[in-house]
Amino acid sequence: MNGHVKSMNFQQFMEQATTLLSLLLVMAVDSTRTVAASRNQQCGNPLQQTLKLSRLIQKESVDLIKTYKASQGEMSELFCKVSVNNIPDPNISGMEHSERIVSIYTHLQDFLPHFNRVYDQQTDLQSSTSPLLTELNSVRAHSINLATLTNSLYQSLFPNLPVPEPAGRPTTLPPPQNVFQQKVYGCVVLKTYKELLLNVSRELRTLKSKMCIRRIQINTFF
Amino acid sequence: PNHYCTILHCSSTHRGQYNSIQVKLGDIFPHHMTLEVWVEAHNKLGKIESEHLKEDSGWFVKTDPPSDVKVFSERSFPTSLLINWTHRIIKERVKLTYQIRYRQNGTQNWTYVPLGDTASDIKSFRLQDLQPYQVYETQVSCKNAKEGHGYWSNWSNIVTKKTPEDRPTSKPDLWRIIAEGDGIQQVQFICKDPVLANGRIIRFNIKIQDPKDKVKNGSLEWKNITRSSQGKITDLKQIDLADQKYVGVYVTATNSVGNSPVASLFITAKAHEHAPVEELKVLPHRGQLWLEWKPPNSSKLVSEYVVEWVGSAQTDWQKEMRNTTRTAIKGHLEKFVCYNVSVYPIYHGCIGKPASKKAYLEQGAPALAPVVNLNDKPGRNQATLVWTEIPQGRRRGFITNYTIFYTSGSEVHNLTVPANTNSYTLKSLSGNTKYDTWIKASTIGGSISSFNHSFTTLKYAPGEMEFIVVGVSLGFLFIMVMTMLLCVYKKDVIKENFWPQIPDPGESTIGNWLPDYPLKAETQESGLSGISVLDVDVCDGKCVFEEDKASLPLKKDKYLSEEHSSGIGGSSCMSSPRQSVSDSDEGGDMADTTASTVQYSSVVPASSGYKGQTPNSQPQQALFSRSESTQPLLDSEENPDMLLQEASRQSPPRRPRFTDGGDPAGIAEQQELLEPLDFCPLGEDSEQDTPVDGQAADWLPAAVPPLSSYMPQLGGYRPQ
Repeated sequence: MNGHVKSMNFQQFMEQATTLLSLLLVMAVDSTRTVAASRNQQCGNPLQQTLKLSRLIQKESVDLIKTYKASQGEMSELFCKVSVNNIPDPNISGMEHSERIVSIYTHLQDFLPHFNRVYDQQTDLQSSTSPLLTELNSVRAHSINLATLTNSLYQSLFPNLPVPEPAGRPTTLPPPQNVFQQKVYGCVVLKTYKELLLNVSRELRTLKSKMCIRRIQINTFF
Repeated sequence: PNHYCTILHCSSTHRGQYNSIQVKLGDIFPHHMTLEVWVEAHNKLGKIESEHLKEDSGWFVKTDPPSDVKVFSERSFPTSLLINWTHRIIKERVKLTYQIRYRQNGTQNWTYVPLGDTASDIKSFRLQDLQPYQVYETQVSCKNAKEGHGYWSNWSNIVTKKTPEDRPTSKPDLWRIIAEGDGIQQVQFICKDPVLANGRIIRFNIKIQDPKDKVKNGSLEWKNITRSSQGKITDLKQIDLADQKYVGVYVTATNSVGNSPVASLFITAKAHEHAPVEELKVLPHRGQLWLEWKPPNSSKLVSEYVVEWVGSAQTDWQKEMRNTTRTAIKGHLEKFVCYNVSVYPIYHGCIGKPASKKAYLEQGAPALAPVVNLNDKPGRNQATLVWTEIPQGRRRGFITNYTIFYTSGSEVHNLTVPANTNSYTLKSLSGNTKYDTWIKASTIGGSISSFNHSFTTLKYAPGEMEFIVVGVSLGFLFIMVMTMLLCVYKKDVIKENFWPQIPDPGESTIGNWLPDYPLKAETQESGLSGISVLDVDVCDGKCVFEEDKASLPLKKDKYLSEEHSSGIGGSSCMSSPRQSVSDSDEGGDMADTTASTVQYSSVVPASSGYKGQTPNSQPQQALFSRSESTQPLLDSEENPDMLLQEASRQSPPRRPRFTDGGDPAGIAEQQELLEPLDFCPLGEDSEQDTPVDGQAADWLPAAVPPLSSYMPQLGGYRPQ
């Protein structure tokens, strides 16, 4: 046996640390990819479609207000400034994304009866070829589709959470109204709906920004 | 998990064979919704489904084309056009991408703007690198901007716009036409617009440089010539080249913006020194006239070629690069028109020697048929046809040959002659036959036949009739001459054969023949030599009383008024002149006398006129018996008193016999037959050849009976 016996403990430690670090790095990358993959799935088609549709309806609602005011005759600007009770709240509530998505879905469902009411009233007030009716019909149809897409989005993002209850909650519609009241009621509903859609679009954009991972962030990280 | 989806159920039934279809998905298109689409095929036995397509609604969409497309031109950008359009669909429904294409008006090929240049969500685009003053057609199409989604819409309506003018960027096309007139060579300079005119050319500017002109400060004055309003060729200037050996021409073109670069052309006397192009070929092909040639030996000096074509009413040209050896005429050519195509090598502006050929773009049948005629009167077996040449402007092609047709009604013959002939002699024709002939002129594009021309060949060849006539005439003449000669020389024989004189036994009397009657030698003295008496014996033909020839008085006129009707008498040697009563008057009676044979007896002179007899001496008593004949009368016969005196002493009077009418009594008194003598009748000439007195003796009959023994013969004597 030689008299020179070196101690290899440090080298052994370094080797183990290097090995462990490498392993952690691989796990981090892999997890990132997994997360990215899963988040890309969340950033997939349902979110994109929901977002685009919300933007479409938002745009249509802006045009709808203009068309409504133009078809109500004089003093139409004043109609939207009058307050009306029992109009659904246009603000999105909830803390978690899941709650907020459910809130979006719920509000969309709550506005549908009022939309139908306004459509029926304007059908009596406008001619059959009035563009207001066409736009009302389009917004109503797109709203239904948006609610459907929101539901699908919720289920795709949160498959383990309970499905939001379908529409059917009691809605308080106003009693029969005169023409003036109808015009005021319709303007308020459309105006409120426009705000709702604005909130919905904003919420979905926020959700998209969180759900969709950017490549540049991955490269920057490493 | 259960997915709550809005199922948009939509179906439409279509019967027939389809592989694509457009479907309206309700009143509101389900934007941004997922659609599941499939096709079911049904028949009587069942149905089958196709693959299910599950895609975003935008995947299936074909949008309408952009509307309200507008194109703008800007004067400051002559090579650019700005295109504007409007979105028909808001971007919230579907984001669109666009496609733009454009082309020059009148062309077929589109130029497409790269898709990368027409990003989505744009409403305008600027086209660049266009030609100034050109009309462009533009179209726009759109589609879902999402890659792989949607279909391109149809193209929008064509929008046309002309780019603004710019100054010409190429030289005007300058050329010349040389014409010879009155010994002076005239040059007309002509010009076409520059290829890159970039606008409407309003005038040309020209200056001509020749050695005669003085250069003013090193520059010549430009002259403005308004561009022609008719056609594309403008006549610039015409000059005479008389003594000039060099002329230089400079031309520019001007539009509303500016002038073009300068074009130049030089005409020198040394043009012939440069060889022309070789092996020039001009051939039509697919509606164009193509040229091929080989460069001249001095091809390195050639800067370009000019192809010129001259038609019936037009002259045009085009320029080709120096390395061109094959090209097609780009100008408009008319069919059936002969063009003189020339290729000129240009040596840095100097025109070289041309090579030329004539050609047709397309050949057809001639428009005018040749006119065929006979060169001269036809012969018996041949005829020479000539035909007129078709005028150059009516040929409509190169004449390849002429075909001559001719027929006499049964079979049509034809033969082909080269195009450079305009006459032909038909041979081996039948005589006295009517022929119809016509001629057909042919080109490779067709042929045309002339009108028929009829002629009839001669029955006899020229000169044949004359030959026949002459021959026949000569033959006839020969025969006549021979016959005449025969008649003349064989008169007696003929007379003897055809008009034998048969004595009339009824009139014959027996006379006393005194054969011992001496013939005195004085006959010669009396001058009656030459009178001979012939034997009346026809068969013997002996001449009797020859020695009495000289002793017989004979009246020349009587005796020698020979009848040429030698038919009298049949004696072969009865060549004695006779005087017949028919001499003077009744030549026709000669034929009648041929039937009678005359028996002559010698006449013994009984008067002082006879030799050896003295007047008042006892006449010789020579009694003869004779028949009446047509012999010429003696003197005694003419003097019937003397005859009567003699007759009373001699033989009884004779009684002439007359077969026909007449005055037998008168004739009987006056008639006196003269003995035939041995002299030959002279025929027709007998009347003319009246012998002189000295010769009369030769014609006197050898023996003349006493005057009283003869009865005078007068006219009206008829043969027995």
